[in-house]
Amino acid sequence: MNVKKALILVSLIILVLTLSAAFTSSALGHYPLPLSGVRWLASWYLYTTLNPQYPKFTAMSPEAVTAIVWDYRGLDTLFETAVFFLAIVGALALMRGISLKSLAESNETTTEGAGSGLSLISKTAAKLLTPLIIAVSASIALHGHLTPGGGFQGGSAAAVAPLLLLVIFSVYFLLRRGISEKPMLTLRTAGLLGIYLTALAVVFTGLVTGVNAYVFQNQPKFDAPVGIPAYLFNTLVSGSLFLFNLSEYLAVAGGFTLVFILLSIPEELVMSLIRGEEHE
Amino acid sequence: MSEVDTFMFNVFIFSMILNTAISLYGIFARPTLIKKIIALTIFSDTANVLAIAVGYRAWPTVERSPIPPVLTTSEPTASDLTSFLQTAVDPLPQALVLTAIVIGLAVTLFLVFLTLQVYRLYRTTDVRKISRLRG
Repeated sequence: MNVKKALILVSLIILVLTLSAAFTSSALGHYPLPLSGVRWLASWYLYTTLNPQYPKFTAMSPEAVTAIVWDYRGLDTLFETAVFFLAIVGALALMRGISLKSLAESNETTTEGAGSGLSLISKTAAKLLTPLIIAVSASIALHGHLTPGGGFQGGSAAAVAPLLLLVIFSVYFLLRRGISEKPMLTLRTAGLLGIYLTALAVVFTGLVTGVNAYVFQNQPKFDAPVGIPAYLFNTLVSGSLFLFNLSEYLAVAGGFTLVFILLSIPEELVMSLIRGEEHE
Repeated sequence: MSEVDTFMFNVFIFSMILNTAISLYGIFARPTLIKKIIALTIFSDTANVLAIAVGYRAWPTVERSPIPPVLTTSEPTASDLTSFLQTAVDPLPQALVLTAIVIGLAVTLFLVFLTLQVYRLYRTTDVRKISRLRG
């Protein structure tokens, strides 16, 4: 046992020394102080993120991070959304066979009286906070192409609201108000469908009008003269970025809410299900 | 002033290296699944902070600090864009980290589900006991 501990300690020391050697020989690009400028790729992104002088290159968004996430490197984000989607599907698959509907109906008789949830103070505070959380998260998501933020961040912030209700009231409270498995699945699927349609919108336009177009295209390019308009009623919407942010917001918020509800299913219900399966 | 900067940067880098070592120790040497998940989140956060550090830049002048890569006007002139280029940090690591955080949260939730299910079935989260289970 002591040999094992010594081995762990020695390998950790070797790891620290190797990493230190890597960083001192400029693994971060430059050592010890950061570079005085940005890299060429970054200066290209910064220069063209909102540059009306170069309409064939610009992403028409003052927020360079969102422009990279959904325009320059859009396909990366599509596959990252796929990883997110698969993680949620995996969680759902582990929880298969548990009916949330029967759970809500079996507790129809219990009232929201003194017995369920936390104290009156927390309940009142939660009632005040929930609309504010939803409003802030919507603002983060829908202004994602103008200010720091976007669909991922807004969706994660929005999922805090049902989590708060889950802890302070109960899972029955959420289920009785219709925030259950099916609506959240629908919301998440609607978001994914929105991402899919926005990614293909320009391709369809190109097919109809008979010109060249690309998947995940936002603004017109040299050999692909169609694109999604950057301005809507004289407001900057940055073409596809706004639609992607909106869809991702719905997908992330729905997915996380779904997982939070599944995590809070009472232990007795799951255990009775597992024991039932074992006896069969 | 430069010595102070160098020292602070070295402290930052070394703390990140130590964080990596501690979290890897947690992932490999701790027997409990919950502690492995906690160590994994520390590891991913360390990687994210290091990725952000790749995109940082030195202060353009002594008075002006680097700014976030967000233009503050919707109709920029040429001089706006030039000063933006000279002061904004690299947006690419930030874009990669932003998705990595949300994906990491989803994967962590999935791992928590797995651990919960393992606990429900076997009444333990200790990998040494789980590996000894038969049937």
